[in-house]
Amino acid sequence: MTHVILVVEDNERNLKLLRDVLEYAGYDVRVARTAEDGITLAVKEPPDLVLMDLQLPGIDGMEALRRLRENPRTVDIPVVAVTAQAMKQDRERALDAGFNGYIEKPISVRAFPDQVRGFLSAGAEGTE
Amino acid sequence: MVERDKRKPADQDPAVNAEMAAEIELLVHELAEVREQLSATSEVLAVIGRSASDLGRVLETVVESARRLCGADAGQVLLVDGDRYRLAYGSGMTAEYREHIANKPVVLDRETLAGRIGLDRRTMQIPDVLADPDYGRTDAQRVAGFRTVMGVPMLLDGDVVGVLSVWRTEVEPFSDRAVGVLTAFAAQAALAVRTVDLVRTLESRTEELGRKVTQLEALGAVGQAESFSLNLTEVLNTIITQAVQLSGTDGGSIYEFDEDAREFRISTVFGTSPETFDALRRSRIGLEDTFLGKAATLGSPLELPDLRDALPDPYLSVLDQGGWRSLVAVPMLREGRIVGAMVVRRHAPGHFPQEVRDLLQTFAGQSALALINAKLYRQLERQSAALEVASQHKSEFLASMSHELRTPLNAIIGFSEVLLERMFGQLNERQDDYLRDIWSSGKHLLELLNDILDLSKIEAGQMVLNRSEFSVRESLEYCLSMVRERALQQRILLSLEVDPEVGLLDADRLRFRQVVLNLLSNAVKFTPDGGRVDVRAFMRGQDLVVLVADTGVGVPAEDRERIFDSFQQGTRHSEQTEGTGLGLTLSKRILELHGGRIWVESEAGNGSTFGFALPTGSGEPASTSVPQADLESGLPTESAPGPGPTVVVVEDDRRSFDLLRVYLEGAGARVVSARDGKEGLDTVRRLNPAGVVLDILLPGVDGWEVLAQLKADPKTAAIPVIVVSMLDERGRGFALGAAEYLVKPVGKEQLLAALYRAAAMPERKHTVVAIDDDPLAIELVRASLESEGWTVLGAATGQEGLTLIRERQPSAVLLDLLMSGMDGFEVLEALRADPDTKSVPVVILTSKSMTQQDKERLQGRITYVARKTEFDLSGLAGLLRWASTSRQPPASESG
Repeated sequence: MTHVILVVEDNERNLKLLRDVLEYAGYDVRVARTAEDGITLAVKEPPDLVLMDLQLPGIDGMEALRRLRENPRTVDIPVVAVTAQAMKQDRERALDAGFNGYIEKPISVRAFPDQVRGFLSAGAEGTE
Repeated sequence: MVERDKRKPADQDPAVNAEMAAEIELLVHELAEVREQLSATSEVLAVIGRSASDLGRVLETVVESARRLCGADAGQVLLVDGDRYRLAYGSGMTAEYREHIANKPVVLDRETLAGRIGLDRRTMQIPDVLADPDYGRTDAQRVAGFRTVMGVPMLLDGDVVGVLSVWRTEVEPFSDRAVGVLTAFAAQAALAVRTVDLVRTLESRTEELGRKVTQLEALGAVGQAESFSLNLTEVLNTIITQAVQLSGTDGGSIYEFDEDAREFRISTVFGTSPETFDALRRSRIGLEDTFLGKAATLGSPLELPDLRDALPDPYLSVLDQGGWRSLVAVPMLREGRIVGAMVVRRHAPGHFPQEVRDLLQTFAGQSALALINAKLYRQLERQSAALEVASQHKSEFLASMSHELRTPLNAIIGFSEVLLERMFGQLNERQDDYLRDIWSSGKHLLELLNDILDLSKIEAGQMVLNRSEFSVRESLEYCLSMVRERALQQRILLSLEVDPEVGLLDADRLRFRQVVLNLLSNAVKFTPDGGRVDVRAFMRGQDLVVLVADTGVGVPAEDRERIFDSFQQGTRHSEQTEGTGLGLTLSKRILELHGGRIWVESEAGNGSTFGFALPTGSGEPASTSVPQADLESGLPTESAPGPGPTVVVVEDDRRSFDLLRVYLEGAGARVVSARDGKEGLDTVRRLNPAGVVLDILLPGVDGWEVLAQLKADPKTAAIPVIVVSMLDERGRGFALGAAEYLVKPVGKEQLLAALYRAAAMPERKHTVVAIDDDPLAIELVRASLESEGWTVLGAATGQEGLTLIRERQPSAVLLDLLMSGMDGFEVLEALRADPDTKSVPVVILTSKSMTQQDKERLQGRITYVARKTEFDLSGLAGLLRWASTSRQPPASESG
């Protein structure tokens, strides 16, 4: 079965890049440009993995994660931060907040599908 | 008059005359006695006045005078000591009696005269002790042989503190007059006892205060906000309370002087109503228009015996309304500057004795110290708050800039990778080529961005080295593998040669690789196809040296220095795609953090060799670089290692170490830290420092062991060791060979004095000659430097300045360029022409903008140029300290 990945990203070009790379790797990709839209989508049809930008218009990635974790329908979905925040403390803060992973932009197109695969299988282990 | 009276009636009726003559005779005799008594009393009073604190002298005078005036064979003062008496002073008695009475003292009971006086608190006489059935000390009587004894109590506030007594060895009772004499003297003796008590209390209180202030000093330097301010209030309160009580006045206050507003602000009061305190707080007590200001300007205590006689001023009228009538104002001065004032007041008018004024001056000195510390502390607090805000702004800016740049880079690099991966079909050769250009330009931008972040981390002092031991060879091989692909493409031959003695290195492994990789990729980048890049590693003394040699275009001479400076690039590769960017700057900083250095040797067209050296082991820098100029102010940063004597501080407590470091660096020393005994021993052996500051309680090998080992080793035995410890075991310290032993908390002056005594550091002269025809400018300089311990000698003309410099040999010169008559350039020329003055560091402080011609005239002759308008005077002391320790002139300019 094809894994469904939800990408929450407000920058149009980066959204396009992530979608192209993931679709090329064979995933079913859903997109949202705000955290609110992302949460609505995730609740309606829970994906296998959420890739979340941290700086978003409206509510930010941190808050979105908190809301996903509060909802029983989305509580177990692995959520990975994909962000251009590159300071060491940003990574620590995100992992402390409960993100399952942290991928720094710019992404490596070659390595990205493998990273995603890693989070999917870790999430699968966690839920079973 | 008496003489005349005596003769006149004698010429009249003989009978009357005879009677009168006898009476007169008696009167005359009596008068003489009274006179003698008076003179003796005044002698006693004079002695008390002169030597109030010398109880022995006072009692001696009292007893000797009493014995003489009473016509007694012996006299003594016995002081109450618990339930018995102690002989405080005796006259006319044998050594045998003294010994007897010392072994078997007189007790406060009815057996003796003194005992009865002590119990009944009144004057008594026993006409004949042998006839007194109750007399119990016949043992003492047999030794001394007294028969008639008389004594008076020494009373203080109704309590008997002692007995003044006299005796005769014949039975001959003392007259009433003798009783009077003795009573008067006993009162004096009692007063003397009280004075001595007071002086002793005062001394111990003063000592206690001194200790508190010293503690405070140490505390202030560490910076403990809350406890510090609490302690300041407490100290000032204690001071004013003691000052009022010991001076016998009714109330008092301490004022802090605000230099900017030129007014006094009340800090604390004692014995003063809340209303008056409030009124004092609300009124402006100016320097120019109040009594307090007058005393401060005068620089010595000023008394006002009656407020109502004085010209009213805002300050005095507040006190007048508060019911105060007289006061003494004592200015608190520090190095000639007004810090504050202390005032004690009385509700009644009257003068204040000299002792009171002396006493107040002591207290004022203590308060001045406390206030200055508080002020310094507040300044420090403000500065660090401002710094923190600035540095936070900078960090926020960098973080957001990094984010903003990374977002488009993600698209640039990502999409070119997508296409290069042929995700959406094949590319022709040109498309592939262009995409690679886009991709590598994106990567290059990303590298620059990362370098900028790294550099700003270093600038902000936030880069922490993650040290570990690793193999130099393995790291070098790893770096070579990273550039091998590109070298192959360019047919560049790579070689690596590592000397066998090169082993492990204790450094930050990733940063070490970053440096090597940077040098290697530069070398490959700038070497034409078919060339070669050779890497060599070897030991030079204690240093690891790595050389990266290429056969590239080389670095022109004019670029060799600035190639390591931020945002500067050589011109050698202008036609090529990428520059070295920030890589070399970053490498230089990383190496400096490790205590190493970097250099380049090159001939244009003949390739270049970049090399770096790193001290091996856990060592601190052996770097000799001049302090780096701070980006904003152009001032050298204070923490930069000075070229002064090296002092190793073995101390495991971070805070104690920071404090010691501040003290030592302030005096120009280069401080190297060792956190435990073993590291201490290693560091001292490796660096052979000018001195060691050693804590005793250390983890692992303790300070005693370190001291013993250093002294046992002929190589280190001569290095003076100053022990600074909580333990007060001086004996043991000195026995083991410590040069000095200080018990914590240790103040700056104490520590430096110990180092100077132990000859671990040369004592520095802190004199600066400021030459400026604007007296205000000199005053400004004086104001900012004197508080930092400098002596500022001002000169209004160049000629005057030259004379001063030759006479006083200052540690630095501050020079204005534009002056009427002899200008700054001429002064400089005269200074440099004279062998005696040619090496004195000169800092130009001028409002003139430098022309190119000016700069050439100054070239190599000055240490530093600062513009008056932009110059922050608070940094002047730091600049001068740096200038006076660095004799090489790296002419640089701020602004």
